[in-house]
Amino acid sequence: MLDTMTSIQDILEATCHRERVAWLSLVAMAAAYGPFFLGVALEPPSAPLPDLPSMGRFAGAVLVQVVVLGVGHAWFRLRWPHEARAPADERDRAIELRARRIAYHVLIVGIVLVGCVMPFSKHGWELIHTGIAAVVVAELVHYGLVVLGYRRG
Amino acid sequence: MTEPVDSRRISNGIRTLRFLHGEMTQAELGRRIGLTRQTVAAIEAEKYSPSLEAAFRIAEVFGKRVDEVFAWSEPE
Repeated sequence: MLDTMTSIQDILEATCHRERVAWLSLVAMAAAYGPFFLGVALEPPSAPLPDLPSMGRFAGAVLVQVVVLGVGHAWFRLRWPHEARAPADERDRAIELRARRIAYHVLIVGIVLVGCVMPFSKHGWELIHTGIAAVVVAELVHYGLVVLGYRRG
Repeated sequence: MTEPVDSRRISNGIRTLRFLHGEMTQAELGRRIGLTRQTVAAIEAEKYSPSLEAAFRIAEVFGKRVDEVFAWSEPE
């Protein structure tokens, strides 16, 4: 356990601030929306909208994400204050731009599915959950590509 | 008929130049040209090709011309 923590610390030490933020965002999304979608799959909402328990489940996921991001960002700022304050350079911007461009297309596919295809056969929570899933997948693609961009150079 | 894709890469002598300038660190070079240490490392490792502006800045730091720092390298 201690070895794992040490190697994580070493990896974080060698990476730049924006890659650390991308990893943090991936972890936050996994921690928040992994359990959320698992809960949805195991126990789909059955009550009609507005279904307060289901809304509470989503609020809980958002809260987990905000807390993980908040704690992570605070730690990064304390541990690497200069890097956290440094503006993005040309490579940071190029990596971010490429990741956003691809993630945008993923999001568009999700939006078309939720807004133009699914309403003919689905309704209520199925649309809402698919919409949330589209945003989550697009963000995972975005941050995943940012990490990949920094790993590849 | 289309031309074959140019498979050459841009190589650079930044590592040598840093050594010749008092073992200048990547962080110091990055600070002087407005890039992060990791970006300087990526340029040095030829994983990232800098913009023309950054290339000129790097050459300026070492008192060289751009073509003395960056050059085409033939594929192996």
